[in-house]
Amino acid sequence: MIDVIDLVKHYRASDGSVVRAVDGVSLAVAAGEMVGLLGANGAGKTTTLRVLATLLKPTSGTARVAGCDVQADPLGARRHLGFVSATTGVPDRLSAREIMRSYGRLHGMEERPLVRRIDELVRALGLAAFADRPAGRLSSGQRQRVSLARALVHDPPALVLDEPTNALDVVGARDLLHLLDGLRGDGRAILLSTHRLHEIERRCDRFVIIHGGRVVAQGTPAEVLGPHGSLEEAFFAAIGSGERGACAGAGEASP
Amino acid sequence: MSTASAGSSAASPDRFAAPPQPGTLGSTLAVAGFQIGRLLSRQRLLLAGLGAIFPAAVMLAVRRTAPAGLDRDLAVTMIFALVPEAVCMLGLLVTMCPAVADELERGTWVHVAVRPRGRRSLLLGTYLAAVAWTSTVAILAAALAVLAAGVARPLPLVVLFAGLVVLSTLGRAALFAVPAVVLPKRALVASVAVALTVEYLAGFIPAVVNQLTVSLRLRSLLVEWMGWRRQLPVEMRLLVDPAPAWVQAAAVVVLAVVLLVAAVKILESRQFPPSVEI
Repeated sequence: MIDVIDLVKHYRASDGSVVRAVDGVSLAVAAGEMVGLLGANGAGKTTTLRVLATLLKPTSGTARVAGCDVQADPLGARRHLGFVSATTGVPDRLSAREIMRSYGRLHGMEERPLVRRIDELVRALGLAAFADRPAGRLSSGQRQRVSLARALVHDPPALVLDEPTNALDVVGARDLLHLLDGLRGDGRAILLSTHRLHEIERRCDRFVIIHGGRVVAQGTPAEVLGPHGSLEEAFFAAIGSGERGACAGAGEASP
Repeated sequence: MSTASAGSSAASPDRFAAPPQPGTLGSTLAVAGFQIGRLLSRQRLLLAGLGAIFPAAVMLAVRRTAPAGLDRDLAVTMIFALVPEAVCMLGLLVTMCPAVADELERGTWVHVAVRPRGRRSLLLGTYLAAVAWTSTVAILAAALAVLAAGVARPLPLVVLFAGLVVLSTLGRAALFAVPAVVLPKRALVASVAVALTVEYLAGFIPAVVNQLTVSLRLRSLLVEWMGWRRQLPVEMRLLVDPAPAWVQAAAVVVLAVVLLVAAVKILESRQFPPSVEI
């Protein structure tokens, strides 16, 4: 459902130097699978996800959502993708229902199916208690749930979340991740970036660890953890190795 | 907390087969409605009220200095400078210039840009909202100013200014769309620079370059509709275009379309690294 093949993204910095934000990342997320994209700040997680979301153009390599290449068919990729970021960007004056309606109309949804879909999301994401309250009066956790509802309004088969739990407390983060479990059960492909490893240790089907724009380890929890006692230990072992393929014991090294 | 399905039916592999196919018109109208909703804040309404009243206040002040009553042509010239020029420019600077910058600062850019026609709809929807909002305020300002000027037969003048206002906003909102997408973080400064250099410098140069300005078209329409063409001094004739009114109006529409298409193309190719968002 989500395929990234040898993705490279370079930026030109203000001093003229080239920043290699992503340098040959490959990963895949199948339908009904939740994959955790792990890395420290500046590792290249956000850039990878933004290329998938068609917000940035790759320097080289391929990124596909539901078979739609993000460069050749960006509209197709966008139609099949839901995107959630750390900054919710939820308008303070509008309620959850109004926000979902606005974004649903952006997707060309007609009024009746849209109202039906909003009602479904209100129920499924537990928004009923505050669905008609202006978002400015919601907690961070509630705002992030509204942001998730906005990403799901067009019922996309693929969901990309860029550090969605960053601004949330422990309870809010747990609630959000619990919701993601349900979405995976729907058959959605979920790619989730975070650097709060303990939150997702037992939730993801696979992990991809990137460092310095490169994949330094990826695999199932058992493969990535290997002899390490926790995901955190495996993560530090992987990024400590620095170089691609040099993370023996920390899962499958990237090609 | 529920883990109930957020799908529209039971999970199956082909259940996601046909996500909606958005059209530009529907999504543009959705953004326009959203932007007008944003403009209906107390602060913006107060600003709009001031913009609507200001030309009338100026006309009242000038009228007090002329006990015999204001000359109709002088009043029309003043209202022209105050409304289709000043009020429209200021209104569009507030509503059109921040089209992209506002989204970047509010953190909503990514959520709009990941929608199938999000970027295009954002720009065109904001354009429609800016034109509708500014035109409404400016037509109200023109009506109040005409009444405050105390000139005879005010209704035809209000209609004349309504036409000029609509063309002014259509053309200049498109003009400001370009700096809004090229330099979103400096859009206001860039738009003021564009207004000064394009509209008020190039627009007054009697050469081919002024054919590409909205100000030439508006001046020419004013002269045409007021029947001033024959009485204009020779040197002033250089500052207006002799073509009929429909040509002037069509020129503004064509200019607006060209500028909007350019702005949409630029915006659709823009990449904002995460660091650009505040």
